[in-house]
Amino acid sequence: MSAVAEARPRPYRSRSRLQHFTIQSAPLLLALIILAGMAALYVGLFYNQLSRFPGNFEWTSVVNTSMPLVFAGVGQSIVVLTRGLDLSVGGMIDLTNSLTATHMHAGTGSMLAWSLIALFVGAGGGAINGVLVAYGRLQPILVTLATLSIYQGLAIKVLPEPGGAVPLEYTKILANPNGPWGLLFVAFVVGFWLLFRRTRFGVDVYAIGNDEEAARAHAVRVRTVKIGAYTLAGTFAAAGGLFLAATTTAGDATSGDVFVLTSIAAVVLGGISFFGGRGSAIGTVAGAFVLTLLINVLFFASIDPLYQSFFQGLFLVVAVLLGTLIRRLVGMRG
Amino acid sequence: MTATPEAIAREPRWRALLLALTPDRRRVLYAFGAAILVFVVGDFLHAGFASAASVKSILVIASFVGFVAAGQTFVILVGGIDLSVPWVLNGAAILLVTSSLGRDGRAAQAVLLTLALGLATGLVNGIGIAYLAVPAVVMTLGMNGIMEGLTLGISKGLTCSSCASYAPKAVQDVVRTNLIGVPADLFLWLGVAVIITFLLSATSFGRRIYAIGNNDTAASLAGIDVRLVTVVLYMLSGLFAALGGIVLVAYGGQATLGMGDPYLFQSIAAAVIGGVSILGGRGHYLGSLAGSITLVALVSVLLAENMPDWGRSVVYGGAILVILLAYGRERRQL
Repeated sequence: MSAVAEARPRPYRSRSRLQHFTIQSAPLLLALIILAGMAALYVGLFYNQLSRFPGNFEWTSVVNTSMPLVFAGVGQSIVVLTRGLDLSVGGMIDLTNSLTATHMHAGTGSMLAWSLIALFVGAGGGAINGVLVAYGRLQPILVTLATLSIYQGLAIKVLPEPGGAVPLEYTKILANPNGPWGLLFVAFVVGFWLLFRRTRFGVDVYAIGNDEEAARAHAVRVRTVKIGAYTLAGTFAAAGGLFLAATTTAGDATSGDVFVLTSIAAVVLGGISFFGGRGSAIGTVAGAFVLTLLINVLFFASIDPLYQSFFQGLFLVVAVLLGTLIRRLVGMRG
Repeated sequence: MTATPEAIAREPRWRALLLALTPDRRRVLYAFGAAILVFVVGDFLHAGFASAASVKSILVIASFVGFVAAGQTFVILVGGIDLSVPWVLNGAAILLVTSSLGRDGRAAQAVLLTLALGLATGLVNGIGIAYLAVPAVVMTLGMNGIMEGLTLGISKGLTCSSCASYAPKAVQDVVRTNLIGVPADLFLWLGVAVIITFLLSATSFGRRIYAIGNNDTAASLAGIDVRLVTVVLYMLSGLFAALGGIVLVAYGGQATLGMGDPYLFQSIAAAVIGGVSILGGRGHYLGSLAGSITLVALVSVLLAENMPDWGRSVVYGGAILVILLAYGRERRQL
């Protein structure tokens, strides 16, 4: 290449607006397409087995089972967008789940108080992660591996054996078995996200994930934003623990552990880049529903439940490969 | 006060020696120091904790972590991570007993078959990560699910007729017999440590690992086949996870479900305590080896203290945070 050609600056907008939009939203679109495909597969297999379509009861159950993962996943999304990772979500769900099951009594006062306490515990635990990552200058994966162990331990201290109980009214509010009212909470999360990413804080989260040095040079208070991101993630995980307690109507100090893996899987299925700064938590919400539907699909496809993790693992890897392939096709890097 | 030549000369010799070491070697030394410290404190709290018999039994348990940590160290050295360890280990342990049926005549084939399983899972992990650009966390997480599903499905939840077999006597003997008063397993560990040290410190393959871990672009430009080396390292990680499974089942006699679960946290923690940087390029297996001993000795002290489950979990996480804060911090950014 000649020196003259090199000297000419590259045009700012080398792609058309439509192309730009497609590239920007391709991962989210893919997540929604996978969700639609999975839902269609579920309906098809259901009809094949029972000769009727899934009704109110089935859809309500899908929504209620998905809620803990929706919240845990959105929390994870915020951290992954900063190019971090939060393995402690599992421990935080254990802890808040145990707290709720052992302390909450019937009555508006107790339910409200203990919900708030759980959320504060989540925020506090998240803030500890954030301070260790931002001020301790430690790797997120190691910090949250350590705090995962700590929060799991505290959960067992609160509730040594599975048990406890959650008031019936609480289950009715968070996981009403009579209708898919949980969708209201999903709408709340989506609304939160649409607002969040337009706030200064939201923009800073994306900026840090894309290029931490550049963000710092543009006066983004990197450490404060990171602490905020982990605090939010902890709060969302705590909310996930509350929904889990409401759905299962009892507590178990280890039932949250699985969310370490599934929250990461939901984020990946949602099209959020592991290298930070790209993607939307709305995709994660879709990813959480996909993972719940997948279990139902496997059930109605008469697959031995013992093989469940095999298909979950395979599905995760294939979804990532598909995402990479599509990004290459539309010409997006990373 | 200015340092006169006499003052420098008067500085203790051990300090000069310590400063002459590279930071990496110093960390290996610190890790061994930490292990010795735990034994000393343990002996102070419980007379006889540092007796030969007690040290031997702790070292044997540490060797299980040490084998798995060997593979984990290899992939962490290039900035990767292997989350598929738990079910590769568990699957390997079950494959060993079911393929050998506890007969000595089939022991050799069974061991080779099991190690081949480890290599195969590592090969798939490596191809996904190096050639298909799947993030290591996602690929190995998916592989863990795949192996879990396959292991549970094929062994029918460990209810198959051959699943209750014991490890062949010959394999048990390799781990459990005493040679000149020392369990043979420790000689195996020593052998592994010597081979890996040679590999890392004295071969061009070792230099390539560090080169990739420090800067994979520069390594690639220098003519290193980064992808191929990465695949080989994940194969080694699978191999050592399988070896961990073999040794563990030989020690315990029978395979159980979930026997691999503790080894994910412990193998990563051992490497980190040993000064291996999670970002890659820094650290040595000798550090991970010392880290395994520190970790297991710490747990043994807590067990001797009759520390409840939850307390152990909290102390575990806390200890790792303290060690990370002591020397796992990244350089301060501007």
